[in-house]
Amino acid sequence: MSDLTPKDPRVEQAGASDESLQAAHEKLLGRKPDDGAHYKMLPLVLLFVFSGLIFYAGTYLNHYSARYDATVFDENGHSTKGVTAMAKVDPMVLGKKNFELVCATCHQVTGLGVPGVYPPLAESEWVNGSEERLIRIVLHGLKGPVSVKGTVYSAAAMPVFGKVAGSGYNWSDDKIAAVLTYIRASFGNKAPAVTSEQVAAIHAKEGDRKEWSAEELSKLP
Amino acid sequence: MTTAPQAANTAEVTEIDTSARWPLLLLLGSALLWLVLSGILALVNLMQLHTPEFLAGCSAMTYGRSSAIQETAFIYGWAANSGLAVALWLLARLGGAPLRSLNWVVAGTLFWNFALVLGIAGIATGDMTSNAWLHLPGYVLPMLLVAYGTIAVPGVLAWMGRRKEMTFAAQWYAVAALFLFPWLFSIAQMMLVFAPERGVLQALVAGWFVQGAWTLWLAPLALAAAYYLVPKVTGRIIPSYDFAQLSFWTLLFVGAWTGGRHLIGGPVPAWVATIAVVSCALLLFHYIVVAVNLRGAFCGGGSTVLKFVAFGLVAYVVGGFLDAYTAMRGVAVHTQFTHFSEGQSQLALNGAFSMLMYGAIYFLAPRITGLAWPSVPMIRAHYAAALTGTVILVVTLIGAGCVQGHDLNTATIPFADIAGHVRPWLLAATAGQAILLLGNLLLATHLFWLAAAKAATPAVFNPAPTMEASVS
Amino acid sequence: MKNGFTFFLGLFLAVALAWAGIVMGSHVQLGQLAPYFDENEGKAFPERMPGIAAQGQLVYQDLGCAACHTQQVRRPDFGSDKARGWGDRQSVARDYVSQAHVQLGESRVGPDLATFGARPLAVDATRLTQYLYEPHGGMPAYRFLFEERKITGERSADALKAAAPAGYEIIPTHRAVSLVAYLQSLNNVYEYPEARPVEPAAAKEGESK
Repeated sequence: MSDLTPKDPRVEQAGASDESLQAAHEKLLGRKPDDGAHYKMLPLVLLFVFSGLIFYAGTYLNHYSARYDATVFDENGHSTKGVTAMAKVDPMVLGKKNFELVCATCHQVTGLGVPGVYPPLAESEWVNGSEERLIRIVLHGLKGPVSVKGTVYSAAAMPVFGKVAGSGYNWSDDKIAAVLTYIRASFGNKAPAVTSEQVAAIHAKEGDRKEWSAEELSKLP
Repeated sequence: MTTAPQAANTAEVTEIDTSARWPLLLLLGSALLWLVLSGILALVNLMQLHTPEFLAGCSAMTYGRSSAIQETAFIYGWAANSGLAVALWLLARLGGAPLRSLNWVVAGTLFWNFALVLGIAGIATGDMTSNAWLHLPGYVLPMLLVAYGTIAVPGVLAWMGRRKEMTFAAQWYAVAALFLFPWLFSIAQMMLVFAPERGVLQALVAGWFVQGAWTLWLAPLALAAAYYLVPKVTGRIIPSYDFAQLSFWTLLFVGAWTGGRHLIGGPVPAWVATIAVVSCALLLFHYIVVAVNLRGAFCGGGSTVLKFVAFGLVAYVVGGFLDAYTAMRGVAVHTQFTHFSEGQSQLALNGAFSMLMYGAIYFLAPRITGLAWPSVPMIRAHYAAALTGTVILVVTLIGAGCVQGHDLNTATIPFADIAGHVRPWLLAATAGQAILLLGNLLLATHLFWLAAAKAATPAVFNPAPTMEASVS
Repeated sequence: MKNGFTFFLGLFLAVALAWAGIVMGSHVQLGQLAPYFDENEGKAFPERMPGIAAQGQLVYQDLGCAACHTQQVRRPDFGSDKARGWGDRQSVARDYVSQAHVQLGESRVGPDLATFGARPLAVDATRLTQYLYEPHGGMPAYRFLFEERKITGERSADALKAAAPAGYEIIPTHRAVSLVAYLQSLNNVYEYPEARPVEPAAAKEGESK
């Protein structure tokens, strides 16, 4: 017992009582930073460091936050929205795929249709003629007698493909444009492409409606 | 100091300490058992890193699982138990009244450790959730939360019922740690385990939890010990104490914003990582103030406790600077995904947290048991082992990380060759971990010896002097 | 710090602000992130994992594979991920939207696996299964994912070409099979709009702003 010197590691002695420790520090907190006009270096340096760090932080944040954009993963990068955002869709590829998936059931992969039942697309005046009519046929469908390449199909029933009421397909304007572009450039057809904007314009103009008849269409340009 | 005569209470040990004896010893005892277990597993893991076939045939000890168990045992076993013990004791002493409802502590500790054993068995048998710092299976998480609350109750009571309105820095840190962990833990388990977030948000929540658990829970626990021990042992007031408050709030408010720390260059929006980089830099203010405040630890005049504390503080501050440095994108590109990060976390956990806890344990154990530590050589040997072990471990892991980072970013070096280049460093790290484990075994043995000793030397405490409130 | 209420408000705000900023902030941005529908291909990316691969992800998770493998590719000018053949583009948030448990990983003791499904080792399921049993190049063997079974009648078609005691063969368990399926499904190569590297011209224009 007597060998317990003040610095014996077996029992660490305290240098201050808890109460005095708290009381002494309590007094310090109440003190003004520059108490008694003792000009001190350390507090100034610390404040300087603190403001320096905040300045650095602000600058860095400003430079590398990429405008808090959720789609920018490179801190030097800029928003990809608009410029390179959409993947380039090749209308011929998309059109061919959808044509073969859906349209070819009736019009056949060759675009020749079935004589007497399904009208052909190849060299058809409807396909190669006015976009105004062609787009409307696909968008809203066609019902009733129609004459193609001199043959009359008495009960044509082209389904509704557009994103309109009563549609079984809900194809987007882009998709319709792609399919039309495809059929106008295949089977020996050489008509210009149809753009999504053209389809969208007609879609917006006509809205929802029932199937067209050949007669109604022929009044259009 | 002219006001408040201190004659009333100069006895160094009071009922505050003796009444808390068994609950605190229970916490510390289980903490040390977990520490030893995690040390053994850390050794196994390092051996597996340089010799992959080691124990590979055993499904419970495959590297992925054993490293998860090691981390869990360290954080939820050692760090949680020891940190709670120290925080409770500090709050009681500084609150000036014995801890109340100590039965809650005992029940909570038993429940916590039971749930942890269950969880670790779950990891070993295939219920791991693979979230950093939250590998535990879902079924034990609510149990841990309840157990934590139970243990923390007396600490909160001690804070609410403190004798003095004014509070000391050690109390801020201890109370912050007690309160913030349940928040972090419950949010993390909800958003990661029970109702997982979508896609990379999981990685973000995990990052936020890991950084939060360090800066808002473990670091405050360790700092509470440091802010108490340094003035207490030296008997001198903390220099530039008026900055301690600002530093405290800096840590708390900025800490968890470093959540994107490990996602630099990763599949999260750039701003998340940028905020983390900036927050790591802002935290430097906190580290500088801690260094200025607690520099008294380096003039401890031969005090063993302060030797541990001094080492812990160096590790803490160096770790903070290293963190800010490696968070910079140009540096992170080399250090992330390598052993460098592992070295940093060992520096924080073994270097800073554990060292400060060892210091606190050496200080408080004689006070709560009323007995002196049985052996001086054991204390010295533990210090030597902990110091050399940690230094070797951290330095070699960081060295390994530098080699690995350089090799990974040099595409002409075949990937298969990297392991060979890193191997010598990992062998040295294994040696460091072995020394560290030896030291921790010494501490565990020593504490059990102290608790069990019948013919031990009673501790004699000199009356504590009164601290002068002079401006240094 | 006299005022207990202010102190607690501070503690609460400390957690709440960081949570709101980091977690909720990115949740608002990415929480509703949907797969990207490619009109040309007619399907959405990332593709859904087959059921067996989703089971394999659980095996990957409970074995802690993420302790050594990352699943995130850094952009070409940040590290040498591209040069190592780990992926031509930076991994983006959308790569992970269909995964139940994202395993980004934090250590590259082993190679990155984000595009593993396209590599020679992964293309052939038999070879990958064999690799799990007898790896070379630093990975530990995962023999506990296989069982040694007595040959009754004909040899099983799934049996590995590995040394087994006479009359026995090595058969991958369901866990091994699903893990292989998962590893094969890892193939984040689809070029999302946000994943394309910024074109130099666009970058310059941005800087001059």
